[in-house]
Amino acid sequence: MNALLAGLTILVIGDSHMVTRDYLITTLHDDLLAQGAQVDSYGMCGANAGDWVYPSTVSCGKAERIGKAGPEINRAPSTPTYQINQLIAKSHPNLIVIEMGDTMAGYGQKAFPQGWIYQQVHALTGRIAEQNIPCVWVGPPWGSEGSTYHKTFDRVKEMAEFLSTAVAPCRFIDSTQFSKPNEWPTIDGQHLTNSGYKAWGADIAAALDQMVPQMQLAKKP
Amino acid sequence: MLRSVRCVLGGVALLAALTAVQPRAGVAAEGRLYPSGPPNGVAYLRFVNLTPSEVTVTSPAAKIAIPADDAHRVGEFDPVTPGVALTGSAQLGGATKPINVTLTANEFVTVAVTADGDGIAVSTFRETPSDFNALKSSLALFNADKDCAKAQLVAGDNHQSVIADIAPDALGRRLVNPVNAALAVACGDPAQPVPAKLGQLNAGDRYSIFVVAGKAGPEIVAARDEQAPFRP
Repeated sequence: MNALLAGLTILVIGDSHMVTRDYLITTLHDDLLAQGAQVDSYGMCGANAGDWVYPSTVSCGKAERIGKAGPEINRAPSTPTYQINQLIAKSHPNLIVIEMGDTMAGYGQKAFPQGWIYQQVHALTGRIAEQNIPCVWVGPPWGSEGSTYHKTFDRVKEMAEFLSTAVAPCRFIDSTQFSKPNEWPTIDGQHLTNSGYKAWGADIAAALDQMVPQMQLAKKP
Repeated sequence: MLRSVRCVLGGVALLAALTAVQPRAGVAAEGRLYPSGPPNGVAYLRFVNLTPSEVTVTSPAAKIAIPADDAHRVGEFDPVTPGVALTGSAQLGGATKPINVTLTANEFVTVAVTADGDGIAVSTFRETPSDFNALKSSLALFNADKDCAKAQLVAGDNHQSVIADIAPDALGRRLVNPVNAALAVACGDPAQPVPAKLGQLNAGDRYSIFVVAGKAGPEIVAARDEQAPFRP
């Protein structure tokens, strides 16, 4: 139990790293629960930041986990996107954690799509800022090179550096600082093994422990 | 003096007609669970009316009017597919000019329409910015005044230079702290600039300041940039 997180309601949203049972929807969620927080987690496979703002559909699944219940995974081929305003209205969070980056980094593209990423990020952080809810953005881990996702360490580094200046007023957690390249193996170039998700979830939770005291979050009575 | 804050107009529909909209990035490619970014890149295009009258922009599929009032003369950057020729025309009164522009990936293009005597002129400003930053404000100076050989953006009572030596049909950009500075544009003596009223700059926002020839010298259009999202 961590007195700093205990009593907080934390809304966690993310991409496909949240949409399989043993991924962050289990590991990070459990770590935050264990520290006494109320946690609601949502993931959308393949979603960009703007997909949480502008209603559309996702084509490779979504998942949610409310409090201490187990994850519910929906693999329907076309399903409506979660909308951040609706999730906020449902959870009333003190803190929002956003895990996102791999879907927007333009892996395989020669040029880094900075303007497009910024618009996506700004759309989501702007919605959260409108409601004066503190937020933390978690960037992507190294992953592996040479897969069909065309993820490269250079582009991951570029993405992390850009997100660090683009996500304000959210704070930023740089996941590349948690491991060395190739230290966390992947199953497909992008998604980690179960042990990797355990390590990533624990490292994110530990980073939140350090950030929360600086964020002066208002706990619910 | 002309001034504009933002423009939300039917340009979205026009640009949708000008070119095929970029496929949504959230749609997974076959065999992939996790698509990454816009598959074919993205670019952004906007139209700006720097004339005293309404301008009509026509594409092969649509026609829109861009008003000359301060609130509507600067369109929002709309996502378009790079590598595709966007054709059309701009009309001011009875004068027309063709539009034919092909954007590259990640490029931001501003097509500015100005009055040229009794006719019309079109200036195309191209940039691929790499200064997107949520902690700073980005200021851009667009010189659409052919009589202004070296436009200069200055700030404060001492007219400190922020962006200097911008030639006609060129632009300059700079990141600044989000402050409420008195901005102005000079074409000659920096001590006698024309005010560019943007007010309080917000962190993370981007701003465009246009210099355009007026009847009695340079006039200024100043606006906060708007960037439209992808549409399904």
